[in-house]
Amino acid sequence: MLGGVFHAATLFLVAAGLQLVFGVQKIVNLACGSFYALGAYFGVSFVGWSIRHGLPPALFLVAIIVAGLLLAAIGPLVERLLRVIYDRDESFQLLLTFALVLMFEDVIRFFWGTSPYQMGGLYLQYGQLTVGRLTIPVYNVIVIAGGVAIAVLMGWFLGRTRFGRIVRATAENREMSEALGVNMTRVYARVFTLGTALGTVGGALVVPATAAMSEMGIDVIVEAFAVVVIGGLGSMRGAFVGALVVGVLRAAAIATYPEMEMLAIYVIVIAVLVLRPAGLFARAAA
Amino acid sequence: MAMTRRSFLKATGAAAAAAGIRLDVPAAFAQANPVKVGVLTIKAGVGAQVGESGLRGVQWATDRINGAGGILGRKIELIVEEESSPKDSVERFQKLVLQNKVDVVQGGISTGVGLALGPVAEEMKALWLSWDATTQKGVEETIPKPKYIFRSTDNECEAIMASILTARHWKGKFKTFAGINPDYSYGRDNWAAFQAVMKKYDMGASPVLDLWPKLGTTDFTSHVAALQQAKPDLIFSSFWAADTSIFLKQAHAAGLTSGTKFVFTTAGGVHESLKKAFTPEGMILGYNTMYFENPKGSALLKQFVREHQEKYKEWPNYESDHAYFTMVAYKAGVEKAAKAAGGKWPTLEQTVAALEGLEVESLSGQRRYREDHIMEASFHQGLSTHKNKHDFVTIDPVEIMTTKQVQKPVGVGLYDWINGWKV
Repeated sequence: MLGGVFHAATLFLVAAGLQLVFGVQKIVNLACGSFYALGAYFGVSFVGWSIRHGLPPALFLVAIIVAGLLLAAIGPLVERLLRVIYDRDESFQLLLTFALVLMFEDVIRFFWGTSPYQMGGLYLQYGQLTVGRLTIPVYNVIVIAGGVAIAVLMGWFLGRTRFGRIVRATAENREMSEALGVNMTRVYARVFTLGTALGTVGGALVVPATAAMSEMGIDVIVEAFAVVVIGGLGSMRGAFVGALVVGVLRAAAIATYPEMEMLAIYVIVIAVLVLRPAGLFARAAA
Repeated sequence: MAMTRRSFLKATGAAAAAAGIRLDVPAAFAQANPVKVGVLTIKAGVGAQVGESGLRGVQWATDRINGAGGILGRKIELIVEEESSPKDSVERFQKLVLQNKVDVVQGGISTGVGLALGPVAEEMKALWLSWDATTQKGVEETIPKPKYIFRSTDNECEAIMASILTARHWKGKFKTFAGINPDYSYGRDNWAAFQAVMKKYDMGASPVLDLWPKLGTTDFTSHVAALQQAKPDLIFSSFWAADTSIFLKQAHAAGLTSGTKFVFTTAGGVHESLKKAFTPEGMILGYNTMYFENPKGSALLKQFVREHQEKYKEWPNYESDHAYFTMVAYKAGVEKAAKAAGGKWPTLEQTVAALEGLEVESLSGQRRYREDHIMEASFHQGLSTHKNKHDFVTIDPVEIMTTKQVQKPVGVGLYDWINGWKV
């Protein structure tokens, strides 16, 4: 179960980035998978560099989060590029963002080569937690807690802050918000950067437990799409519940019928598509 | 001023005439054309380390051969293509043969690719010396009698050796076992072979769980949780790429490595990533056909390991040995065939005939091609230890078994062979 929740936590971050950008900008940003992969690679390099420059290994978690946030700086650049297709057909958006995925894969190969990158034993730095006869790595617990904290923070940010209100207003009716004096260019750039940060931090957080590989971006997009379909496109709560459903379902399938791992997820996806085509938490169409 | 084709020809023709040499090519000139060798190897993903290692092995062999004058005076030229999905790899193989007109293709690591490539190579009458890609299905069903393909050792050799060692070390010491293997022909073949040997040795242990993560999976937390729940005494795995160390790290973090026996048939392929921090001592660990720190290793092995370490700051793995072997075997095959053909460059059929039964020295010792085009080699495994100068585990003692012990002989089905053992 907890294994599934760990997976769900990282999946949530990527899916949340996808949802946020779609909700506001109406762009299905496939490149969120690349942000995740780039976050993982940059995380490994940045942590390695920090430790060589005297960072105590116990603080590597801080370095990872900083790495994720620093890398979010590519957000505004990518957003600038995407601006040319805001008013174009959706198929152009898919094509361009998918092109970005492939390009970023080659960027990764150029900078980091093709071999997977790992972080050695840092993952074990925080020890284990034993509950009854269950042993859980503390790092997993930190990532899960981080996922939940970000979910709560996003909820607070979108629901209670001034900028959050503007974001929601933009999502509901772009022309109206613009007419009321909202600087759309700036809102878009900020939202996109926030979406990027969710992906890069997610990638950086997961890498100590796994490894950075150039094709990890594509794998995560496929799963993030299942999450989005289950949860409903554009809904933050949907991303949270969808990620939990996918993560836990996968874990349960592996523990009982390992052959059903992928099948189980897509059975739910199909069920949702048939019974609630807009997803579990879809908002009413404007 | 741009030079046109005509003025160029005129100029060279005049120069040639002036120098008194003929432009129509004499036989010796044809001999000086390079031998084109296509190399197919994995370049990305979990298998990238293994693929890179193969490339280093073939490069080292090529440099040595070219340094000593090449094959019958012809230098070797490598044309490297990427091995990825079976479909793409088949297309690149065809490109090597049809477009680059290579004399031989070497490489091929994934058995999934090998299965698809086999019939294509036969059809195209293209000589292919596989490094690693050999499945039972390919050997027994799809291409039982290949003409132009020379295969690696059987997939299951490493599993069979590890199974025999399991029986030798741990008979009566475990009641339940589980498997976690990559979800394609290689993983399936190895898990089936392990179970067959356990049954043959009457181990009195039963399988409780078999997990099949896709090749390339990096998050094993759910698999680890399932293993924690099933609580097997022993875990068998034929992981051979970066997945090994990721799985071990996650298993160790969840406390799975204390009190559980592990068998890793070929994890030595990524031995440097098996850090002491999370890799326990006392697990059965296989290095496939070459162990870089074999204390009884040949001078050739020691030289290769030393130069490899100096150049790449890494310790080589077995794929280098497969790749080195296919190259030196090809050279020896061509030379043997040329001798029989009176010194002329041999035809493809003559080279094939010369390769059958050919034995040469490879990095790991003597290796040969059986008459049915399957490699013979020695396998190196042992119990993992932390007592070394590295930050990763090695094995001590090193146990060596040859394909005579761990590979089914010509013309016998794998399971018939195992069932026929006297134990």
